[in-house]
Amino acid sequence: MADEIGINRLRRRDFLKAGLVFGAGAAGLAAGYAAVPDAFAQAVYAATTNGAGNDRVLVMIQLAGGNDGLRTVIPLQDPALHDLRPKLAATSVGSALPITDEFGLNQNLRGIKQLWDQGRVAIVQGVGYPNPSFSHFESIRIWETGDPTRRQVDGWLGRTLAKSYDSQGHPLTGCACGTADVPGALRDLQATLTVIDNQRSFGFTGGSEVEEAVGALYRNTPGIYGALFDTAMATARDAVAALRAAEAKYQPQATYSDRQPLVYPSKNQLAAALQLAAELIVTGTGVKLLHVTLGGFDTHYTELTRQDDLMAYLDAAVSAFFQDLDAHGQADRVLVATWSEFGRRPRENASGGTDHGTAAPLLLIGGPVRGGLYGEAPSLTELDATDNLRYTVDFRSVYQEILGPYLGADPKEILGGTFERLGFVRDPVTTF
Amino acid sequence: MAAMGSTDAVQLSPSPSPPRVRVDRRRVLAGAVIGGAGLAALHGALAAGLLDRLGGRTAQGWASPLGDERARVAHLLRRATFGASEEELERAASDGFQRTVDRLLEEPPAPPPDLWAADDPDRGSRLQLGRLQLWWVQHMLSTPTPFTERMTLFWHGHFTSDAQKVGLQTPFLYWQNLTWRQMALTDLRSMLWKVTVDPAMLRYLDLATSRGSAPNENYARELMERFTMGVGNYTEEDVRAAARALAGWVEPPPDRYQEVALDAASGARRRYGIWDRPRTGVFVPNRAYRGIVTFLGRTGHLDTEAVLEAILSHPATAGYLASKVAQEFVSADVEASFVRRLADAFRSSGYDVKTLMRAVFTSPEFTADAAYRALVKSPTEFMLHALKAVDAPHLAPLAVAAGSGMGQILFAPPDVGGWPSNASWISSNSVLARVNFAAAVVERLSAVPSLDRLLAQVDGVLGPSTASSLKRAADDRQRALLLLASPEFQLK
Repeated sequence: MADEIGINRLRRRDFLKAGLVFGAGAAGLAAGYAAVPDAFAQAVYAATTNGAGNDRVLVMIQLAGGNDGLRTVIPLQDPALHDLRPKLAATSVGSALPITDEFGLNQNLRGIKQLWDQGRVAIVQGVGYPNPSFSHFESIRIWETGDPTRRQVDGWLGRTLAKSYDSQGHPLTGCACGTADVPGALRDLQATLTVIDNQRSFGFTGGSEVEEAVGALYRNTPGIYGALFDTAMATARDAVAALRAAEAKYQPQATYSDRQPLVYPSKNQLAAALQLAAELIVTGTGVKLLHVTLGGFDTHYTELTRQDDLMAYLDAAVSAFFQDLDAHGQADRVLVATWSEFGRRPRENASGGTDHGTAAPLLLIGGPVRGGLYGEAPSLTELDATDNLRYTVDFRSVYQEILGPYLGADPKEILGGTFERLGFVRDPVTTF
Repeated sequence: MAAMGSTDAVQLSPSPSPPRVRVDRRRVLAGAVIGGAGLAALHGALAAGLLDRLGGRTAQGWASPLGDERARVAHLLRRATFGASEEELERAASDGFQRTVDRLLEEPPAPPPDLWAADDPDRGSRLQLGRLQLWWVQHMLSTPTPFTERMTLFWHGHFTSDAQKVGLQTPFLYWQNLTWRQMALTDLRSMLWKVTVDPAMLRYLDLATSRGSAPNENYARELMERFTMGVGNYTEEDVRAAARALAGWVEPPPDRYQEVALDAASGARRRYGIWDRPRTGVFVPNRAYRGIVTFLGRTGHLDTEAVLEAILSHPATAGYLASKVAQEFVSADVEASFVRRLADAFRSSGYDVKTLMRAVFTSPEFTADAAYRALVKSPTEFMLHALKAVDAPHLAPLAVAAGSGMGQILFAPPDVGGWPSNASWISSNSVLARVNFAAAVVERLSAVPSLDRLLAQVDGVLGPSTASSLKRAADDRQRALLLLASPEFQLK
């Protein structure tokens, strides 16, 4: 079973056989992680025949609220943009950072522009889905579950965790950083994952004494749920130990700051979340799928400043993240992908903002990416019946490329279908 | 390192070689790990580490005290209310089980206090989620009719609506809570009507935007699939027919509006409706479907009442709801014959909820040994039980804050199906969150209850690890923490 093509199967007993030392108990685990980080990581990611194992990591950054694609990847030469957005387009076109003749990045995406120049940014344009919903709630669910028909309840990443990774004993395989509850994209009852709001508070309130005392309760627990409780507690302690070990070994090689000037203070600390992600990656904890969120993109009014500020915040955090990864020599195995529940309406409204829209570009950043533009920018003149952009790329094509060529999982099993191939992954694990 | 399956390292339940079964949620959910599979079932990734930590053990269940009437009363209160103090348990025990059931069922529901003060500018208008949650938690802790409240929580997770979709710009979600409480112990016919015309529900499942000329199927589908009959008992044509027949309801308009400035710079303002009192949805005949439909075998110009009648007449309805109630109050696995008995009682009483609940509580299955600790307390129940156990209702805000880490945010279920239960409540994240909640509560207590009082909460039935941990504990405060954090306290 461990030899299934494209599936990364981690079984701790395999490593026991390979002679790696794992002491009993959480303390032992911590020592184990600290003592043999690279060997563990290497064993975990040891490539087998048929491209089964890989050490690739995915970081999804949710831009919550509906990010305005037209102010992220800006059409430089389209007069229609000025007709539709006399206020919003004026300054943005002039100050945009050109990436081609036709398009430029938001002026505050300087770091990402540099990554683009290095060939490490792929931009998929016109991403959406049929019969778009303008409801945050519904559209978020659609993106999270990967199902525009809204029948699926589990998250696409949750399903990936459950089907593709043997994460028993590896509680950090799927990890949500900077949030208190499970993001819908990661939700799946069969998936083992860890939610870490922030490192400082993640752990047993009252420290190791409480952990020991309380941990001792969850042994030999009787009853039908006994073994499940005991396993859950052991996994929690594993996660805490792994995080402590990672924390001890990690030295950030970049400056992460959540002190960003924003019109409305952010509920999310994106920089801290990405720093935590970097720590989990570079210290070899075995993390595969990470999810972080930045909110505030629902710019019905005062969009100019609000969205520009958010772009700056995003850029600073992502740049620090890649600087950190580069310094640790880990950037080639990390793919960052942004997603948002929808773009915004092409025509600006009366309050200096835009209302809920449809298609928008996605940014995919990292060494594994074949830089460039993909998909097709939607026409600004051929709008749909609701005066919104017509999508050109189904978002599940992006997921498919991430799941198959990048992670080596089975996209058809997870998405329930096949979609247009995009080809933004430079060294695909499997071709199909 | 103990090798897997070596019999000198561990005591296994009798079997020649230990079955190679990994215990994970997949297996528990699939029912593949039951009762005494215990340690023998622990294999796979964690086995190596855990075997060292656990040493030997035999697989066993809890030592059920349900032969004793006092324990049966405690079991009843644990499941039908949010926990009882020792005094309340005393009183109920002297009443006896049957009388306690009567008392719980017959009390008319105590209404909660008003959410808004008389001079609150948001009165009848806007909501804040945290405030709404705290209001409800405080009422759950202090209400003189906790069984009604327990049923309100149950219906909240059954006839679901979500704050993220319904929004907080209207009082609809608050009204829904009031309505669900008023209807909690009535009959299904009147309940289904109230649910259908509830403004929050009209918004959540899109009935408010459904028109006869362009019907929206969302409510029609969930009404049948999740709320009454379950999948497989109706066809897609039935969904389409019901969607047509139900169309025409709209949200009740406000009595007046208030304007609030959102952003000084842009001058953006927003209008919020103000309602002087709770309202139900309004039927607009112009929006209704005028044609003939065939729904669950009935043909005609069907309206909302006809749709609900057809559902009530359907043989699947009683069983679907009885099954759900049995799984919520008795055990995760229920015998088909038990469900049938409950369904028959429910149906023949005209779908009277009190009759159903009485049948549940007085059933032999409810107090069978197999039912002892057969359910996992939901996060809300666990937290409320904990606060009642240490007599600290003033710490209700902690319960509001901790819910999301445990997987249950009041007024925001993950989807229309509500919250998955029992084994699904148990994960590394949720166990950590529960333990930390216990620590946070105990830390803030000025006075800690004695061990005896706390042991009464778990009938004095402890597993070996909890017993020895309590013995080793330094003081009452640590004992309180251990008890609240123990697996015993997570179960009901």
